[in-house]
Amino acid sequence: MKEVKYVITDPLGIHARPAGLLVKEAAKCACKVTISVGGGAAVDAKRIMGVMRLAVKQGMEITMAFDGPDEDAAADALEAFLKANL
Amino acid sequence: MGFFDKLFSGKSKETELGAPAAGEAVPIREVSDPTFGEEILGKGVAIRPTGNRIFSPCDATVDLMFDTGHAVSLKGDDGSEILIHVGLETVALKGKYFKVFAKTDEHVSKGQLLIEFDREAIAAEGYDTITPMVICNTADYQAVNAYTGKTVAAGDTVLGLVK
Repeated sequence: MKEVKYVITDPLGIHARPAGLLVKEAAKCACKVTISVGGGAAVDAKRIMGVMRLAVKQGMEITMAFDGPDEDAAADALEAFLKANL
Repeated sequence: MGFFDKLFSGKSKETELGAPAAGEAVPIREVSDPTFGEEILGKGVAIRPTGNRIFSPCDATVDLMFDTGHAVSLKGDDGSEILIHVGLETVALKGKYFKVFAKTDEHVSKGQLLIEFDREAIAAEGYDTITPMVICNTADYQAVNAYTGKTVAAGDTVLGLVK
């Protein structure tokens, strides 16, 4: 299990487009990928509805958790995605 | 074809979704935003609205009413996961010109008013008001059929989901 924490800098937060792109990126991972906000319930990062429902705003810290054989590579890839897009 | 013929014809029955707005139904690929046009969020359909109100396409639970009112996601009673996005890039309006009529977690019926928007004002600010409706769990279906190339009233069938 690996974790990545990231504070959202995009002024519009995780709205439809970034949610779609994030899910697309997460779907490339073989391992289980989840997102949670502020100690709330973790949602499957490979499902758009769950990710959108978090309604993540600018300044909020998200925690992404990776569990499975490719978790190291997956965590690196998603961390790079977050830095580049959110 | 009658109800029983449909039921016993052996063909997969389509779940029908109504147009969320009055307007022209067009293929999703005509949407210039790649999030929708390239089906990143799933397959679907788009409406070029001529009205200014968004209605529920089926009986559903509101999964998330965006607080900006520019989009709403619904969980259909049949399991479909639907996103309706009013206009493109309209998240940047931060709620201006949108009024919401349903809340997150509320159960709504087909045809129930969800959002009202000032189409003319949004267009005047330079936004495209085309309204995509996409099926976020497209992978759960054998086919998502779009019925386009026609003028529709809100509630007219524009998508058919085949399990």
